[in-house]
Parts: sequence; C-alpha cells; structure tokens
Amino acid sequence: MTLYDGKAGISYQVEGVFVEEAVSRRLQALGINDGTRVRILNRKKKGAMIIQVRGTRLALGRHISSCIEVKEEAERGEETAV
Amino acid sequence: MTEKNKTIKVAFVGNPNCGKTTLFNAVTGSRLKVANWPGVTVEKKEGAAEYEDCSLTIIDTPGIYSLTCYTIEEKVTRQCVMDDEIDAIVNVVDASSLERNLYLTLQLLELGKPVILALNMMDIVEERGMEIDLHRLPEMLGGIPVVPVSAARRTGLGILLHAVVHHYEEGAAGNVLTYGEEIEHKIAKLEVMMQARFPNHSCVRWHAIKLLENDEDVRNEHPISIMNVVEKSYEKEIIQQKYAYIEMIVREVLFHKEKKAAFTDKIDRILTHPVWGVPIFLLIMCVVFLMTFLVGDFLKAGFESVLGWLSGQAGQFLLLIRCSPWLISLIVDGIIAGVGGILTFIPNIVILFLALAILEDSGYMSRVAYVMDTIMGRAGLSGKAFLPMILGFGCSVPAIMATRALETERDRRKTMLITPFMSCSARLPVYVLFSDMFFPGYAHLAAFSMYVIGMGVAILVALLMHRWEKSREAVSDCLLIELPEYKRPNARTIGIYVWTKLKDYLEKAGTTIFVASIIIWFVLNFGIHGMVSDPADSFGAMIGRGLMPVLAPAGLDMWQIAVALISGISAKEVVVSSFAVLFGVVNANSEAGMAAIIGHIHMQNPAFGPVNAYALMVFCLLYVPCAATIGTVKKESGSWKFTIQMVVFQLVLAWAFAVLVFQAGSRLF
Repeated sequence: MTLYDGKAGISYQVEGVFVEEAVSRRLQALGINDGTRVRILNRKKKGAMIIQVRGTRLALGRHISSCIEVKEEAERGEETAV
Repeated sequence: MTEKNKTIKVAFVGNPNCGKTTLFNAVTGSRLKVANWPGVTVEKKEGAAEYEDCSLTIIDTPGIYSLTCYTIEEKVTRQCVMDDEIDAIVNVVDASSLERNLYLTLQLLELGKPVILALNMMDIVEERGMEIDLHRLPEMLGGIPVVPVSAARRTGLGILLHAVVHHYEEGAAGNVLTYGEEIEHKIAKLEVMMQARFPNHSCVRWHAIKLLENDEDVRNEHPISIMNVVEKSYEKEIIQQKYAYIEMIVREVLFHKEKKAAFTDKIDRILTHPVWGVPIFLLIMCVVFLMTFLVGDFLKAGFESVLGWLSGQAGQFLLLIRCSPWLISLIVDGIIAGVGGILTFIPNIVILFLALAILEDSGYMSRVAYVMDTIMGRAGLSGKAFLPMILGFGCSVPAIMATRALETERDRRKTMLITPFMSCSARLPVYVLFSDMFFPGYAHLAAFSMYVIGMGVAILVALLMHRWEKSREAVSDCLLIELPEYKRPNARTIGIYVWTKLKDYLEKAGTTIFVASIIIWFVLNFGIHGMVSDPADSFGAMIGRGLMPVLAPAGLDMWQIAVALISGISAKEVVVSSFAVLFGVVNANSEAGMAAIIGHIHMQNPAFGPVNAYALMVFCLLYVPCAATIGTVKKESGSWKFTIQMVVFQLVLAWAFAVLVFQAGSRLF
C-alpha cells in the first residue's frame, strides 16, 4: 500500500520512496527513508495529509504521499497512546 | 587569548523556522522580520555584535534542511557557509525537534569549520516534559560547544558569544561520524585524489562525500576523474547512515520524547478539518478585514481633526509671511492634501498589519497551505503557493520575494503573476474612500467584496493558465511543508512587524506620495500657456482626455479618473491623493472631504453612481501593480519580457473586468 491509502491516527513504516529525484532527496533530508516510522495525524479524503515524522509535522500533497510505499506498523504497547 | 579589534565572521545556519532570525535580532539588536512559518528569511542579512574585545560580523541565512543545492535558499546558504571568510558557524537547532535538526548539524560538522551548537527553544522542551542530556550531546558531536539559548526570552546569548569567540580558534571538531566500510574506503580514495589535485583545499572530506553523493555543483567545480571509484550515487546510503547515527544520539540524550504536544494536535483537529478548514480560513480573513475597517474607522476621527487644524494653520501662516498664492496652493492643495489624506488611513493600516502579524506568528500560516492545497491543486499549484498570496494582503513586494520558497521556476512565475491580485494595504484607502462615498450603510461589505474578488480572480487566472498549459507539462502537486507548533504570539515580534510596516508606510508617504503629489499639482495647474486657473486647461486634463474613450465602456469617462489611475502606478494610495489634489480637498477621508469629492464628480458627470464607483474599485484592484512591485518582479524573475507581459496582461484584465462590472451593473440597477 502507499501512504496515500493510509488512515488518520495510524502509524506506518516506510518501505520505499518512488518519486522524482528532486523530491525524494528533499524527503530524505527530512528523514523520510526506508524504515522510517510515520504517523498520519489528519488527512483530506482525496488530497493532502498531515504526518508526524521524527518529531515534526509535515503537510504532504497527494502526489508525494501516493509515491511512498508503506506497511502498517505492528502495534507496540508504548506507541499506541494518543 | 584574542587580539584586540579582531573581527570574527559568524554565520547562523539552521533548519527553517528554528529561530535563527529571532536569535540574530537578539544578538545584533536588529529588527528583521520573524514569523512562525518556514521560509520567512529568503536572503542573507548581516549584522554586528561585540563581545569582550572582539567584534563579530553575524550573517543570518535562510533556513535549510540539508546542504544540497536544490532550492534557492539552499544555494544562498551553502555558498555563504562554504565561503572561506566565514570563521565559525553557529548551528541554530530547534531543541524540540532535535532528531530532524541534527541531520544538518552532521553535515555542517563535515565541512571542517568550527561549529557551535545553539540549542534554541529549550523552554518548549521543558514545557513538554522532555529532557536533553547536555553532557552527552556534545560528546557525541565531537566535543563542540552546545549552548542552550532562548532567542525569544533572550537568555544564553552571552554564553553563546563567549563560545564563539573562544571556540573558533580551537578549530574544527574531528571526524564525528564514521560511515560503513565501503563508503569510508571510497572517501579515503577520493581524499587522496582531491589532495593531489587541489593541495590547498580546506574541507577535503566534505567534498569527497559530496562527490560520492553525486552532487552536481561539487562535481563541476572539481573535474577529477572519479569514474573508477564512484560507480553509483551513494547519497541514499550516506543519508541513511547519518540518520542511523542521529537515532543513536537521540536515544542517548533525549528523555520522555513520547509525551505528545496535545495542544497543537487539538487545535489542528479543528483548523485543518477536511471539510471545515476552508470555511474557517475564509471566516478568519473576514474577521481580519472587518476589524480593519471597523476599528480603523473608529480611530480615524482623531486623525481628521489634527489634519484639518494643521492645514488651516499652514494656510494662515503662509498668508502671514506673504507667500505667493501659487506656493500656498502647492503646499496646501498639493502636499497637505496629497500626503495628509494618506496619513489618515494609518489606523486602518496598523490594524491590518497587526492582524496579519498575529496570524503569521501563531503558526497558522503553513496550515493555510495545507487547507488550500486542494483548491490550488486544481490550478496546478501547490498549497505552498498560497503563502505568498496571503502576504500579498500586506504588501506585494515581500510577497513576490516569498515566491522563492517555491520549487520550480514555472510555479514561481505563475504565483508572481497572480499575487498582485491580492489586495495590498495600499489599495485599502481607495476602497475605504469610494465605498464610504457611494455605498453608505454597506461600505464595509463593498470594501470586503474587493478582497474576495481579488482572491477569486487570482485563483481563476491560475486555473485558466493551468488548463491552457495542461497539454504541455505534467502537474506538480508537490506540497511539502513543515507545520510548526502553535504558540502564543510574541508581543515583541508583533511590535517589530507592525512598526516596520508603519515605518514603510510613513516613508512612502514622505517620498513617493510626496513627490507624486507635487507632480500631480504641477500637471494640473500648468498648461501649454503656463499656469492655468481652470484645471480643465492643464496638461493633466489633456492626457486624461486622451484616455477617456478607452475608459468610457467601464463608465469611467472622466479625465480626472484617467489622471488618478496613471499616477496610481507610482503607489496605489496616490489614486486617493490625486483625487484630493484634483478637487483641492484637504482631507479626503472625512465627511466634508467626501462630500466635496462627490460634488465635483457629479459636476463633471451627474450619472456617476455606485456602479461606476464599483467599476473604478475593481479597476484599481486589478490593474498594473505599483512601480515597486514591478521592479521586484523584474528582479525576481530576471526577465523584462515576463515583467512587461505581466503588466500588459493585468492592465487588459482590469479593463475587461471593469467593463464587465459596469455594463452588467448598469443594466441590472
């Protein structure tokens, strides 16, 4: 699945970033890499979303979020707290 | 230890919105604009500070996430820190998001220059119940000084300067991060090759790493054959290993990091709601403008009486010292009417900027980019393009400079083209005057509608352009922006912001509007036969009459209006000044002044009513931006062709809309 298919309030783990070179470099600089944990905080039905990654909030457009391959993070006790 | 009168050049470098400029202002006593959204600073700025016997030159740079060179900000900052004249780097770090900020730190350390870490926003860290181990952190960063500061509360500044002055002589920290075997092996090889070719190079390791990352600029500057060493780009691996090291640092130095910043999330649930986000934004802007009109009007009375008194006194004094009548006319009817009339709008302007400052400092701005992303996406722009547009409500000049934060040149030009449609504060006097004169009882609504029309036209133009160019290029819906924490607006920050804007306004009144008023007075009082008693014989009238046929379909067939519109290109407020000078009204922004202007207009054209006035307001909203904006567009786009195309396009569009309003309006009403 891609991040774009994700639901608000759920944590995911990045499995790959398949977007234009320039954008993927920016994402990498922001710490979005293979294996990074991201959490969707808020999203619009067909559009942008707000994610939390490495302690900061980012707004991502639909194009970028649908180019990030993720898998749902296995529940871990301490991180389920909202 | 340090010699006397030594100047140390220090660069402040850090992520966007981590407080570099606030710290810069605190250290140097400058008053640069700060706000709570990423990308406020787009140019590097210099300031000076003293510490003990040392004088320091401090350079504030635009915020960056990484030392690559993909955006204009990155290029500016990278060039600045690579500069050999920089003696030390102060890496400003937002302690409340240490993990992301340290990525840049690791890159800066590789440069081989002395780095001092300024740990900003420690107060937020404490508020959130987090703790940072201030002994372990420097240990893991190669022993560089780590100084906790609070730029907003101005604490830790002395210690920071002390660290800069004493640390820079010790030189750079050693190698902090060792990459995996394969990469280190290649770095070593490249270092040898670099040293052979460029024996005096200052930061060989950094350049070797950049070569491994396949960095274009570094490769072009160092044309050494690396084919057999670098067979692919190692950028991804290098970034991953940096972040892996950062994760290790964070694990060791940061405690209780899972505690949530519940406050921001709670507000975001409302303000960035998928359905209500856009209506809430429009409501907020609505409140801002209503405040501007209501509170501004409330405070206006005081200004009016002062101006009336001043004008009377000046006239009497000039009579007393036996000035010739033409000089009295120039001073009273030209300068006091033209400049003074503009000054009575100060309350409105202050309230507008106060509201914009609060919006910017609270952290709401970048949310607007998210909220508006869907609408902007239809127009082929990312939500980020909406930030310059909001700044345009204040003044188009900084708004156009803010387009630098956009990724592609195409997006930049498109945004530059539509940003002037956002009603800037200079157009406010025009709306206030004409809606008060022709829409009694509905004045606020008429003025507010201009803001809505401006925003609508901006989005519509972008939409049509997008349709037109769709066949040629792919969509770039690449919204990627950091959302800062909400915070209580800082009184000092807002004070600086409003004061700077007010000063600009006063300066403009004292220079551009002053000169324009004098020129208008001359143009209206002199004709081919010298000084004229009836302005209808003046040069101004001649020019104006030439344009009347063009303006007639928009219901603006008065030579006075043509003169006012032309002079309004110098600055939009001058439209109001010209009316004041044209009709010899001392204070256009008072009941008596307005009655006089209406009287004069009706003498020329008895049919001039609300529909004509509305067409005039629409024309003022959309036509050629002021000279300063045109100059900025030229500078930022680097193209006269684009600038001229833009001016012509906006002129034609304004005319078309004004004609539409007048023709439709006069049939309906």
